[in-house]
Amino acid sequence: MRRDLVCAALALALAGAYYVAADALPTSLLADGVGAGGIPKLLAVALGVLCVLLGARSLVAGAAAASTVAGIGDHLRALGVAGLGLAYVAAAPHLGYPLAVALLLAATTLYYGASLRLTVLVYALGCAAVLWLVFARMLGVAMPAGVWARLLGG
Amino acid sequence: MTELAFAWKALTASWAVPAAFIGVAWGIVGGALPGISPSIAMALLLPFTYGIEPVTAIVMLAAVYVGAEYGGSIPAILIRTPGTNAAAATVIDGFEMHRQGRGGEALGISLVSGLVGGIFGLLVLVVATGPLARFALSFTPPAYFALGVLGLSVIAGLSGKSLLKGLIAGILGFMIATIGTDPVSGVPRFTFGSPDLLGGIRPIVVMVGIFAVTELMAQAIEPAWARVEAGAARLKLPDGRTWRRLVRPQAIGAAIGTFEGVTPGAGGTIAAFLSYNEARRWSKHPEEFGEGSVEGVAAPECANNVVTGTALVPLLGLGIPGSNSAAILLGGFLLHGLAPGPLLFEKSPDVVYGLYAGLLVANIAMLLLGLVILTPCLWLVNRPKPYLMAFILALVVSGVFAMEASFFDVALVLAAGVLGYALRYFGVPTLPLVLGVVLGFMVESNYRRALVLSGGDHAIFVQDPISLGLLVAAAAVIALSLRREVKLVSTERPLSP
Repeated sequence: MRRDLVCAALALALAGAYYVAADALPTSLLADGVGAGGIPKLLAVALGVLCVLLGARSLVAGAAAASTVAGIGDHLRALGVAGLGLAYVAAAPHLGYPLAVALLLAATTLYYGASLRLTVLVYALGCAAVLWLVFARMLGVAMPAGVWARLLGG
Repeated sequence: MTELAFAWKALTASWAVPAAFIGVAWGIVGGALPGISPSIAMALLLPFTYGIEPVTAIVMLAAVYVGAEYGGSIPAILIRTPGTNAAAATVIDGFEMHRQGRGGEALGISLVSGLVGGIFGLLVLVVATGPLARFALSFTPPAYFALGVLGLSVIAGLSGKSLLKGLIAGILGFMIATIGTDPVSGVPRFTFGSPDLLGGIRPIVVMVGIFAVTELMAQAIEPAWARVEAGAARLKLPDGRTWRRLVRPQAIGAAIGTFEGVTPGAGGTIAAFLSYNEARRWSKHPEEFGEGSVEGVAAPECANNVVTGTALVPLLGLGIPGSNSAAILLGGFLLHGLAPGPLLFEKSPDVVYGLYAGLLVANIAMLLLGLVILTPCLWLVNRPKPYLMAFILALVVSGVFAMEASFFDVALVLAAGVLGYALRYFGVPTLPLVLGVVLGFMVESNYRRALVLSGGDHAIFVQDPISLGLLVAAAAVIALSLRREVKLVSTERPLSP
């Protein structure tokens, strides 16, 4: 139930911040009676009330039986997957799509527990080539070329 | 006849038939991979449909749903690991049959029962959706607002163990929907000066993040999947004697799948377990259940495939997605500038009737591919998990970028994935959040439009008979859910020491 309390507290803080931001929205000359901030403020209040109810319920219910849960290290490891994705977002405009996605593939394969072998490299390069063919060639998407466009273009 | 012409044109003048086969093949493979639910398999394919014509794209997505329900039964039967939630009931007798050396027979029963269920669900979809949509054509802004409220009240049914958490998730989704330009005054809201947010956050970005990225994150700390022995099973279709035994459980599965499918929030998993239970109750051989009963495989497999058709009734008729997969399909419609609901039948009948025809082809494709895809499917399931997960992540970031050539969208998908992971940690259901994102705009814009029409008088919502009826229905849904919640809390309260 402690988890519910933390959840309620976090959502309550979000409701407060959201209300403040909604209250600060400018009023347009075209605004209707409700206004741009009307519904958001209502949502913030509703979220606040629900959080209080959830918090109160978790206090009343008391301690729940312990369950098998992942530790903080596990959660950080899970967050690392999003981190890999963000690293790709940061690198792709500079490295270009084929290289960036090959690096993402290799890094993710290793991150999920594969041992560092030539297979990983071959797999990453092969998949990157397939993805590039599908997106850039077959679907005609302008995937980022990165520095290579400037270098190869002179 | 016009409807048939639309359906025929979709099959002959578009790529709907190959799309149905590709969708089913991907669905079977995706469904067979533990952790890749039908909705995730659909979400992964969603970005690829961006440049494809609408009929073909929607058929492909719906075909994934059809294929995934069969695919989920493959690991359920062979390695006691349901590939999808709905296949969990199939584990009971399917795996027992496999242990007795009858795995191929179980797979065959799963396949044909899925076909029967899929065709039946399609018939219900065709018969029920048109009248529902025609009725909804008379909707005014107050009625649309009330419809949105009814859709949001469905959250109560999607909330799992906690209505409070479901409502919190729904509001979070609604909050996400308010990001962007205000629908009435044009004021930018919660954009923090970013031009990328002026157009709002598209539901598809949230869906791919919540379903696919969250699962990828969760899989990073899950153990490796069990391996399937090579040549573990050779698919065997049921003979005449077995067919006769399957009629009753399939009929039960069809009836329950219909009811659960059209009820938003229920879905294939509940339908499968209820069908299993009822099939045992009505069976002439109840003692065989749990010991490798053919009926124990047929009933849940038929039921969860019925749902692939019937779950689309509220989506196509009213624009309300009642399940994860329906929500992804809704994302597919929105991606192509189509809004499911009553106007879809007026504006894009080719898509609606093309979808019906495509679903028919998809069910036939499921039977044909099901007969030949088992071996490659088992090969894929046996690939080391790290390689598969890496490919899926690369697919997600590439596909999302391809939609708008925007790295901002890719970052948003990853953020949505983190949000989904946090919600999962706190036990907050994610489907209500998706519903909030999808319906938030509809509710707010029609609420404010109705008030502009009435000069600010809220009585307009009860003066319109359809609006009043929908609001009463929404209130009833919420009241019933509250009653259930109160009951649940009182039974869960620990005893005093």
